[in-house]
Amino acid sequence: MSVYALETEALGVSFGRFRAVDGVSLKVAKGELRVLLGANGAGKTTLMDLISGRTRSTSGRVLLNGRDVTNLREYRIARAGIGRKFQIPSIFTGLTVRQNIEVAQSHHPGVFSNLRIGRSAADRARVEEVIDLVGLSDQMKTEAGTLSHGQIQWLELGMLMIQSPDVILLDEPTAGMTQAETGKTAAIINRLKGNQTMLVVEHDMAFVRDIAEKITVLHLGRVLAEGTVAEIESDAAVRAAYLGSQEISAC
Amino acid sequence: MTSLLTNYRIWAYLLFFAVLLALPLTGDDFWLNRVAKYLCFGMLGAAIALTWGYAGVLNLGQGLFFGLGAYAMAMPLKLASYTSLQQGSDQPVPDFMLWNAQPGASTDLCCITPGSWLWIPFQSQWFGVAMAIIAPVIVATLLGRLIFGQRISGVFVSIITLALVLLARLLLVDAQPLTNGFNGLTDLGYFNLFGTELDPYAVTTYYVITIALIVVLVLARLLVATRAGTVLQATRDSQTRALYLGYDVPAYQTFFFAVSAAISGLAGMLYVVVAEFASPSFLDLTFSVSMVVWAAVGGRGSILGACIGAILINVLEARASETEALVEAWKAIVGLVFVLVVIWLPQGLGGFAHDMMRRLTGRWRPEALKQEVRQ
Repeated sequence: MSVYALETEALGVSFGRFRAVDGVSLKVAKGELRVLLGANGAGKTTLMDLISGRTRSTSGRVLLNGRDVTNLREYRIARAGIGRKFQIPSIFTGLTVRQNIEVAQSHHPGVFSNLRIGRSAADRARVEEVIDLVGLSDQMKTEAGTLSHGQIQWLELGMLMIQSPDVILLDEPTAGMTQAETGKTAAIINRLKGNQTMLVVEHDMAFVRDIAEKITVLHLGRVLAEGTVAEIESDAAVRAAYLGSQEISAC
Repeated sequence: MTSLLTNYRIWAYLLFFAVLLALPLTGDDFWLNRVAKYLCFGMLGAAIALTWGYAGVLNLGQGLFFGLGAYAMAMPLKLASYTSLQQGSDQPVPDFMLWNAQPGASTDLCCITPGSWLWIPFQSQWFGVAMAIIAPVIVATLLGRLIFGQRISGVFVSIITLALVLLARLLLVDAQPLTNGFNGLTDLGYFNLFGTELDPYAVTTYYVITIALIVVLVLARLLVATRAGTVLQATRDSQTRALYLGYDVPAYQTFFFAVSAAISGLAGMLYVVVAEFASPSFLDLTFSVSMVVWAAVGGRGSILGACIGAILINVLEARASETEALVEAWKAIVGLVFVLVVIWLPQGLGGFAHDMMRRLTGRWRPEALKQEVRQ
């Protein structure tokens, strides 16, 4: 077994003559939280697409716990243990928060094995634990369609968590959130840190500072720098390429 | 978890069952027979709620399954009729077959008209009962595999089922020597339930149908309470998400589609026992659309609500059409009720009752309103 939960080796893809991702090598350790930073068009979302199988790579490899999952079909990658949260949330609006999490906790995919009422005490406890973790305990019986934008994002995060994937990919989890909501999202992610391997794409520097251990900066499809928040913020190349005139400490 | 006894839904079901079981105390056999018919329609309401409310699949051809069940039952009852016993044959033969037979044809069920041999197994009433359930299930399963397997959804399912029920009606009318075509099967005998003849106006018959309805409602309610029922509702909200969670979505849709068909077949079968006829009008578009209206008024999100909606509307229709002042206007009145309910109670009477109970028990929270204020 590899000590790395997720590795990419010189991963790349070209769209025509344009290399959106150009030989990116990442090593994300088990339980590590890695933030992907970069300007628009740097290839962050494309890199996630390559890892989750949404886009087929043209070079390089993706390894999950040392196992090659490069270019498998999306659902096979999902079953192999990579869960992904998209930018646009997708939940079951007519079900309660609890039911949403319960449906995500799927042991059997078929109809007939699910023709029973109730679930084991262990399953129930896990459902409640996850709902608590994403801070929706008070909304347990609320119909998901009436949740606020932030709550919907947390619910979807919970649906990902209960599937216990080896790696969770989060694409801009705080997009469109208020400051308070962003803070709460950071708290949820921080609670997961250490047990859950996560790869997070994010623009919001305040949020990144809240959660990040290690940051990888992408620029024009390549890795520009890698390091702690402090190292990245003081990196001259990063400042020039990504931050430009923008004052990061002001965020 | 709410305890069983504090759950008002259970009390709603029990209250409804108690009313049904107590109804014969009124001693009006004529009305009892009518209510028995409406109870069959109540099953149809529940069947619609199951697919439309819980799976988001609007079947505009539910009459196909009802019709299959009705004919499967009407065939043995036709053979049990005195009109089938006097046709110059040792075995009972339906009278219309004799009228349709070629001159000099054998008067046996095997070959009196082309395809009349299909009737032979229906000499057994229980074969009819079995087919009334099995035939709709087979048709629904094949149809479901085809439709849902191709990821067809929404209005296209409605169009396909609508076209299918009209096609089936055409075939039924066209097969005159086999089905008595447009006239349907009339002059039926009584169903013999372990030695008791089910006279349509007898209290026993009413109880048989009431108990069938109770069993259907309880089973359907338990079914949607299973994990599979929750997954089904999940597929209604987002098929893609359910697929990404690893569920075999078409299998869930097909299974519940088939259950809904089985309930409709049972309803058609019991309807024939009390109404004493089966006709192609069961496959009319208006009938299938009526079922959808019943479920909408009663509340498609609630099995019990849709069932009660079907019964109430039919009682209302019967009462209005018999009141002299309303003879001309009753259809308009029923139409108006439908429009009002759709405008003010989009979740139907069932949804309204649900909200009221939540309000009364203090669990009602206007989440949607709070949301607007917050933003």
